[in-house]
Formats: sequence, structure tokens, C-alpha cells
Amino acid sequence: MFINAMGLILADHKRIQLGELSRPRALAAIPFAGRYRIIDFMLSNMVNSGITCVGVIAQQKYKSLMDHLGTGSSWDLDRKNQGLSLLPPYINSLNLESSDNDNLSGSLDFFRANRFRYVVIANSNVIFNATLNDYVSRHEESGADISVLYNRDGLKSGPPAVILGMDRKGSVKDVMINPQKPVSNRRSAGVVILSRELLIDLLNDNASRGDNDFSVESLLRRYMELRICGIEYKGTLLRINDIPTYFSSTMSLLEEKTRRELFWAGLPVYTKVKDEAPALYGPQNQVSNSFISDGCVINGTLADSMVFRGVTVSAHAKVTNSIVMQDVYISEGVELDHVILDKNCVIRPGIKLVGQKDFPVVIGKGAIV
Amino acid sequence: MTNKKKIIAMLLAGGQGSRLGVLTKTRAKPAVPYGGKYKIIDFPLSNCTNSGIDTVGVLTQYQPLELNSYISTGAPWDLDSNTGGVFILPPYLKAERGEWYSGTANAIYQNSFFIDKFDPDYVLVLSGDHIYKMDYNAMLKFHIKTEASATIAVIEVPIEDASRFGIMNTDKQSRIVDFEEKPAKPRSNLASMGVYIFNWPVLRAELSCDEEDPNSDHDFGKNIIPKMLSADMRLMAYRFTGYWKDVGTIGSLWEANMDLLDRPEEINLRDRNWRIYSRNPIKPAHYIADNARVVNSALTDGCNVCGHVEHSMLFNSVTVEKGAVVRDSILMPGVRVEAGARLNKCIVSFGTIIGKHVRAGADVEGECRYSNTRLCQDGITVFERGLKIRDGAVVPGNCMVEFLEPDEIVEAHFRV
Repeated sequence: MFINAMGLILADHKRIQLGELSRPRALAAIPFAGRYRIIDFMLSNMVNSGITCVGVIAQQKYKSLMDHLGTGSSWDLDRKNQGLSLLPPYINSLNLESSDNDNLSGSLDFFRANRFRYVVIANSNVIFNATLNDYVSRHEESGADISVLYNRDGLKSGPPAVILGMDRKGSVKDVMINPQKPVSNRRSAGVVILSRELLIDLLNDNASRGDNDFSVESLLRRYMELRICGIEYKGTLLRINDIPTYFSSTMSLLEEKTRRELFWAGLPVYTKVKDEAPALYGPQNQVSNSFISDGCVINGTLADSMVFRGVTVSAHAKVTNSIVMQDVYISEGVELDHVILDKNCVIRPGIKLVGQKDFPVVIGKGAIV
Repeated sequence: MTNKKKIIAMLLAGGQGSRLGVLTKTRAKPAVPYGGKYKIIDFPLSNCTNSGIDTVGVLTQYQPLELNSYISTGAPWDLDSNTGGVFILPPYLKAERGEWYSGTANAIYQNSFFIDKFDPDYVLVLSGDHIYKMDYNAMLKFHIKTEASATIAVIEVPIEDASRFGIMNTDKQSRIVDFEEKPAKPRSNLASMGVYIFNWPVLRAELSCDEEDPNSDHDFGKNIIPKMLSADMRLMAYRFTGYWKDVGTIGSLWEANMDLLDRPEEINLRDRNWRIYSRNPIKPAHYIADNARVVNSALTDGCNVCGHVEHSMLFNSVTVEKGAVVRDSILMPGVRVEAGARLNKCIVSFGTIIGKHVRAGADVEGECRYSNTRLCQDGITVFERGLKIRDGAVVPGNCMVEFLEPDEIVEAHFRV
């Protein structure tokens, strides 16, 4: 499967913060769906499309992202040529003190050095499972300057919503962010395709104006001067914009259709391997409608929940509608409902935590409750 | 010499394991799946890497393809290294002649040139037949401290079982005075674990000498060790305590899997200081549906359970449909148990589909064409990989079900 394109994933998004979950890490590195990080989905989409050269622009808090990506071997991106490049801010003696580090210098070199015809740029807050080959071909055939994937979610799943106004030929004629009155229900999926040369021109143009902000939205804002075409994505697509959408996206995986389309449609989702032992179920557990990962020990009651790797749920504990991340320890008699527990939390015996669907309780990484 | 190693490991992985029947039809015994996500060979390989041994030769002979692709570069065990790593060593043609490995000692002898490349002081000889966690480095320290020519790891076994093993008789300083292979009347209960450390120059000389002997079986237990003892060399017994299990028969394979459910603390696969590594499948977390019930069982990524699973070991991507009941069973990757089927004490190999309302295993009386009490006892029934078992079929216990031709039990066979 040959595709004349390289990939670029933007690990952060200025407008998207997930409170306690994004406090220790970049958006792209937030754990998702039991054994993944958010970035795994887009990275796998690119790899499954035959893309062998992927850059990841990280602006801040990228330690956990670096730990996760490593050499890229889990995605088969530890290549002699190309492969995975992490592009952190380029800090030199001139911008050391300033807050707006030069994000683009490093990326410009990356685009100059790798001679693919097209670049697929993606935000990391969208989750879907598909190859991109067809969209790159359609971009090529359309002759557009930039193509943008969208779906018809409108203002659903909250801000930031980039709404596209399009003419009959599919050209973007209007771009609105979080509009009061949306011109259509076409909402950008945060994935754009353009030629590498055009991208270099645009980046140079930005840099010459002292504008170091690089985002999918800043490209779309050029709809007056460039021909931007929309391509509809019709499959299941989850957006993570804030804690409630993180929660609802996770819970939607418990529905069979979403689960099937994201995990069992034939395209694997790669992630870093942890070598945990199989999950062990004790004699007294009650589990229903839940995802459980390797390395867990389940002795309590679990319902409608997502449980990551290495979690212990002790006897007489009851966990419902919750997301429990890696290596959390839930003691005896604990009751959790609508709770998100970040990695390594310990919940002491008898504690009760109850959140609401739209306002789940979020406990930060490593907390002892 | 730039690439000198203090110690390298040689892992004997050519055994057929014929008592495992259809499970070793297309794979060598060390490639037999175990414990939900492992193969037997993951244990010695992980022990090596955890013990700081970075060079491992894996000697293959019988059905090596699955093992070859499984081990590949050795990356899952951190054995993809520039100066060492894992090497698959099949028998090969030499200038004048070529031959198969005719015994465990001959297999090492034929790879003397490989070992010499690393100029090791010591060679660790392992077999790929056992489930255990062991620090070979501690054993090496013992070997060096006691100035032995060879050290053999031993474990205490119940005296009534001792006649099934190679038994070491030792003096008070743990020096081996006598070795008996499967003695009728054992005088001690220290069984050889098939783990040896040799001083390489000593072993090299012994192997050459053994090669000249036309009456030798070229076997460590039968020939090399007794010969070294009779030459009054210093052979030490290194006592190992901990979980150790031979998984050479259907019964012991089943038991070893059930041990993980009944006594998980004994081998403790959750010890993060001594992880057992394996090649992990690329599958999502497993899913337990509403009304499913999973008790006393171990599950792995990619499983999808809508039925009832009790005291069973499920490898990755196993599906148990609604109304199906799985008890005391081992279901290997990709197995599907369809609605209403009932399995009891079954070992089901890769990708086999158990049709709707099949009844199979220990609680089904009677006999059928697949009955095989020589290999299957205690009601355990084994299914070969890639079978489709006909809806409503009845399969009694103690069966070894394989594809012969479509019949009232086996509907079809497909490649997995």
C-alpha cells in the first residue's frame, strides 16, 4: 500500500483542556479506552494507510508522550528512513526567555527533509478508525489547495466546534468557531490534507509575520485566499473536547456499534505493550457491560465501566459508570459512581464517591483518597 | 576479542512433545500456549533477560516455523541487541556432511562454533519444557563460588514421584555423588530441572569426546553427566525452591494452567520485578456483556464474553456467546464458543469454532472415534486448531479431536 503522504499530529490544542487529566500530560497522551492513549488512534490510522513518516508536534508537558511513543516501534515507525519524529519546541538562546517558543523551526526542517507529495495534518482530539488513502486520492483529484474532513455533528459534543459553510461544489466558504447560529451542521474533524510545498509556503509566510501559532484552524482560516474543499467522514467519530465529552466518548464504547467500528472493523489500533499478566477474576465478582484490561484483579462489582491495565477492584467494592486508569487500587467496600480515576490512585476502604453524568468526579494522577 | 561474554544460554527447543498430541502437531513443544498469553518458551527467555543474560541460542529442529516467527528479532524479551541477542539455531549442512541433532548434547556440540564466537566462560543449557521463574545469575554465582565444573539445578519433588525424574544424590556440601535417570527406587528426592551451567572449556572437551563414542545417545542426562561424575569432576547441585512444572502431558498442561487460577501467588505473574514477557496481540481490552458471568477465571485482551465462564483460562480474542457455559477449560486465541454450547475440561486450540449447543468434555459419558485415553485422561478433551465443530455435536471426555474427514462431530477444517 503506497501512499505519497506524510503525517503530522498536533499533540496539544490551545482550546482543549481536560482539567486533572491534562495537568500532567499533553492532550495526545491522555489514556483512553482501557489500554490506549488518545494519539494511538490517529497514529494507527496513518500507519494503517501506509504512511511511514509521522511528525508529532508537542508544545508542552511532553514527557509522558515521549515515554509512550519511544522509538515508535509499537507502530512500526522505528524505520531507518523516516519513521516517527517528535517535534518539541525549538529552544535556542534567542527565545529561551520568551514564552512563545519557536515551534515552527523544527517542523520546517522536518517538512523540508522528507520529500512526500502530501501532508496529512490531524488534531489529536478526534478518534476514529479508518485508512486515509481514499481521502488523499480525493484531495488529489479535486485539485483543491486544502481538503478538510468533516462530519455532520454540528454543535453536538460541545466547543470548540469549527463549523464549515460550504457551497454546492464542496468548497469551504465560511469557517466559524463556536458560532451562536451555525451556518450548517458540517463540523471539521480536525484533519486536513495539503501538499507539502504549500504547507512550507504557509509556514514561512506565518513565520515572516511573527506568527508562531500553528493549528488546523489557522489553515482553515485561509479559506478566502485558498481553495479549501470539504470531504465528509461518515463513520463513527468521537471527539474529546473536555471532561464530559471524554466521559461520554468512553461510555459510547460500551455500545456495540461504536465498539465494532473502532476496534473490530479489521484495522488494528496499535499501542505500547505493557506485558501485564491476564486479568484475574475472583470467586465473588459481578461484572456487566464493562471493558477490562490485562493485569487487573477483579473481586468486586463492576458495571458500565472502563477499566485500564493493572487495576485492583477489591471484594465488596462497587464501581459503576466509571473510568479507572492504570494501576489504580480500589479497596474493600468502596463505592464509585460516575468517577474518573487517573493513574496510580488509591481509594481507601469504605470511601464513597458519586459524580453526575455531565459532571463526573475526576481524581488526579496518584491521589490517595 | 570485542564480543566476549561471561555466559551465554543455549535453549533446547527442538523437542516434539509427542504426548501433547494435536497441540504439537504443527509446533514444537516450547511454542505451546500457556497461561492466557504466553508460550512455554517465554519463561526461559524472560528468565534469561531478567537474569542479565543477553545472548541466547535457541536450538530448533521439530516444526520450528511457529517458534521462528514468534521469537523473530527477540524484541519482546529485550533480546534484540547489537552485541548479543537471540539466535535461532537449526541443524544445517556442513562441508562434508550434515545431520539432524541426534541428542541434547549433540545439538550443543554442533553449535560449538557459534558458542566459541562469544568466547564465554560459562554456558547455561536450558530446555523449553518447563514453567518456572528462576534467577540464573544467582545460580552462576553459586557455580563460581563452589568452583564447580558443572552445576545442575535441582528441585525437591515428592518422593513417590521421584522415579519419573533424573534424581541427584548429593553429599552434605551439595556435591553430586551420583545421578540416576528415572530410578525405580530413588534414594533422594532432588530432581534435575534440566538447567545446567558448565564451564565452557570443560563442556567443549566432554562433547568432543562424547561425539567419538558410537554407543552414546549424545544426551546430557544419559551420557555427559554420568561420564563427568565417573571422571570425578566437581558437579554441584543448586537447589531451587519455587514453582516449577513440567508441562509435557495434556494432564500437566491443564493442571499448570489451573494453578494460575487456584494458586496465582505461587508463580506470581504479576511480579513487576520479574515480568514474564511475551509477544502481545494487538487487541482492545476485553469486554464483559450484561448478564455474562465470569468466575475464578483469567481473561486476556480482545475477549468478548456474553455467556458463563467458570474456572477457565481464556487467551486473546476468545468469544463466548450468550447461553454458552465454559467450565474448567482452556480456550486458545480466537476460539469461538457459540450460543448454548457447554464445555467442561476442554482444551481448545487456535481459532476453533464450537458450534451452537455442542456438549463436550468431562461431563459427557461415552466414547467416540476421537477417544484417546493414552494421551487424554481425567476427562480432558482436546480440540485441534481451526476446526468447526458441528452444531449440537456431543463430544465425550478423554478425546483428542482432530480433522480426519467431515463427520458428525467435525464439520470442517480451516486454516488459522
